[in-house]
Amino acid sequence: MIKLIFKRLAQGALVVFVLETITFFLVRMLPGNPFLGERKLPQHVMEQLNSLYGLDQSALSQYFNYWKNILTAGDFGPSLVREGLQVSDIISAAFPVSLWLGILGMSIAVVLGIPAGMLSAWWKNRWPDTLLMFAAMLSICMPAFVIGPMLGKTLGMHVPGLSVAGWDNPLCALLPALTLGLINAAYLARLTRGGMLEVLSQDFMRTARAKGAGATRQLFVHALRSGLLPAVSYLGPAFAALITGSFVVETCFQVPGMGLHFVNATTDRDYFLIQGLVLCYGVLIVAANLVVDLALVALNPRLRTQGAA
Amino acid sequence: MNVYAFLAITLSCLLTACGDRRSSSERFAQDGILIIGNNSEPQSQDPHKATAVADGKIISTLLEGLVRPAPTQDGEVLPGTAERWEHNDRADVWTFYLNPSAQWSDGTPLTAHDFEYAYKRLLHPQFAGKYAEMLYPLLRAEDFNKGRCDWEQVGVKALDKHTLQLTLSGPTPHLPRLMLHFTWFPIPKHKVEVLGGMLDRRSLWTRPENWVGNGAYVIAEHRFNDYLSVKPNPRYLRAAEVKNRGVRFLPIVNGYTETRMYMGGKLHITNNVPPEMLAYAAAECKQDFCRDPYYCTIFYRLNTSRPPLHDSRVRRALHLAINRSALVDKVVRGAGTPTVTFTPPGAGYSVSAATEPNTQAEREALARQLLAEAGFDGGKGFPVLELMTTSRDVQRVMAETIQAMWEQVLGIHVDIRSCEWTAYKSAQQNMEYDISSSSWSGDYLDPATFVELWRSGGGNNCTGWGSAACDAALESARATGDADERRAHLQRAEELMLRDLPILPLYHSERTYLRSRQHVNNWQPRLLDNFPLDAVEVKP
Repeated sequence: MIKLIFKRLAQGALVVFVLETITFFLVRMLPGNPFLGERKLPQHVMEQLNSLYGLDQSALSQYFNYWKNILTAGDFGPSLVREGLQVSDIISAAFPVSLWLGILGMSIAVVLGIPAGMLSAWWKNRWPDTLLMFAAMLSICMPAFVIGPMLGKTLGMHVPGLSVAGWDNPLCALLPALTLGLINAAYLARLTRGGMLEVLSQDFMRTARAKGAGATRQLFVHALRSGLLPAVSYLGPAFAALITGSFVVETCFQVPGMGLHFVNATTDRDYFLIQGLVLCYGVLIVAANLVVDLALVALNPRLRTQGAA
Repeated sequence: MNVYAFLAITLSCLLTACGDRRSSSERFAQDGILIIGNNSEPQSQDPHKATAVADGKIISTLLEGLVRPAPTQDGEVLPGTAERWEHNDRADVWTFYLNPSAQWSDGTPLTAHDFEYAYKRLLHPQFAGKYAEMLYPLLRAEDFNKGRCDWEQVGVKALDKHTLQLTLSGPTPHLPRLMLHFTWFPIPKHKVEVLGGMLDRRSLWTRPENWVGNGAYVIAEHRFNDYLSVKPNPRYLRAAEVKNRGVRFLPIVNGYTETRMYMGGKLHITNNVPPEMLAYAAAECKQDFCRDPYYCTIFYRLNTSRPPLHDSRVRRALHLAINRSALVDKVVRGAGTPTVTFTPPGAGYSVSAATEPNTQAEREALARQLLAEAGFDGGKGFPVLELMTTSRDVQRVMAETIQAMWEQVLGIHVDIRSCEWTAYKSAQQNMEYDISSSSWSGDYLDPATFVELWRSGGGNNCTGWGSAACDAALESARATGDADERRAHLQRAEELMLRDLPILPLYHSERTYLRSRQHVNNWQPRLLDNFPLDAVEVKP
């Protein structure tokens, strides 16, 4: 297990490094620059700003300086658009918001999606299955920018305590979390159903039924562990994506999270902020995948022998 | 904090939230605080680094210049930090006498040296102020900004602690209106020097914990991308006249979200209702729906350095073939006034366009005739041009409508290129386009903020067009101290530009927004959307 962890960590570090390197050069190839505004800047102002932030140096030199600053001083650089703010300031302000929203959203997704998938598989091709899978398909097909405003307009405006948008009290997180949760619950339900169906049709399940195991025992003791494998594989990257924010949901509900920064930093060409966010996202994806790998090994004993090999 | 304390706090917050059935707008109104939608997260509260309108709104509550806008009359200027001022006959030497009681929010006296320091900082070549051009009317300011002379030669001098003399490069009778812009505001020299110095762009002097200002408010709290709230400054010169107990600015980029938040009781005033929601918002919020004139023109730039747009007959044909009334009615749902001129009416200025046929049918016939004269009869042989727009919905729909009009009337085809904002702006400023959707908002209430755009080689001209006669008219406007004569020169310059049409004016936009009449009193529309927020009354 330790060997697996170290192997995955080494692979993850390489992935993050390559990801960051590609991002560094790609964002500099985009048309425009961080200092473009409604009014054209005089040439001497543009040159001064480029010089101030080291953007007048060669891309390679900027690249080495970037890593040097991170590794020697833990400095991820300044925001080029909101001067005076450091990338670390922006991420540390937005990340807790997205983290909280992501945890709530994923909890809703797990609580709704996994039982729905299990029940659907148990009642395969009967009306509860049809109903649940229809609801899941509807949720997958309806984008967040439809679900979000609908929830805001209906529940947010009429249920006391809930909020149409904004982030000024703890209950404000409920509707954006529900929006995120419903979409992910739908995927989880379909994946769980698929996984459970495969397990339920296997010989050992027939044996369990023959030995008189009840529905609860069959589902929770014998089938669930293996049936959850596809859903667990999905949970890791989905959780990492959720806690790094969703642009659409954050825009619909005016949530001050990370998702807004991903899009705004790119359109503003805020180079250091884009790199900081990609680095953060990369590290979280690697960490989530590592957790998923460990969870899969725990759930599926066959993987232990493969991992050891 | 242990787990139990955390749970207790969370639970009490939830209970409080559930228990209080009042909306945010009602709760804040009870406390006398105004909640206002402010478009986007501010770039900075430093007047020398900010450029956006959203920044300007906040800065104008935190800092005050030598003059301030009158709450009663648009364009009228009242004494601000200066208690009075005078100028010579040519209106090129102005002396401002500061109110001796003026002080910063930390109690430090505010002096003329703070203004001198601020202007020097913005113009300093090593500071790289993005809006330094706003101070170019000062004598040799441009030279100093470009490193061609010393500061001592610039027309800014603090004669003593309370007297500031400004020498301008020419007569500037409209200087007080110009000075309403935040680039003319002072900054606290004593604070900036302690926190990095004049040229430190990364200075943290604008952080809430360091903030020192001379405006009606000081920063109370700033939560990034969430809100920025300001509270009254007890040391403000007219602190007793401030009509509310604070303002909370919400950076809501999305107009749909903002409108929904207003309807859900989260705001007192919104920034903008998008065109698609106008009918809905007007029907749902009859009393609160506002539609005010705005000092802004929507137009298309034409790249006159590329054929066939270098031919003025082609440009005029494109201009005449656009049915502007239909465009304003159907695309922007009436949130504008169709126009064939550039500068919006206001500040006692209007301009007449070149003589054109009255009816749209006649205009279209003339357009076809001009295109034929240019060698493209019925659109034959006309190259496929590219019409560049931003990715905003309204811009794309407008481009599609105009594309159809040109196809129908002139038989020509244009391709539409929809770009994200920075790529669009980069292409426009580098003139890598054929036709580009554009807009221009005035920085100050004076026609020069529009007409000066068309100076040959001007940074924001971006059309490749220039005219010696237009430049001469603009120079004459700069050289005269007589307001009527100046206006006539500016009109002449604009008429010359409109005769050649390097642009296709489309409409003067209006500002559509929602304002709670239940909670907000004493609000008046402003062409520049710069109504002083300290004059707004907030009713429970």
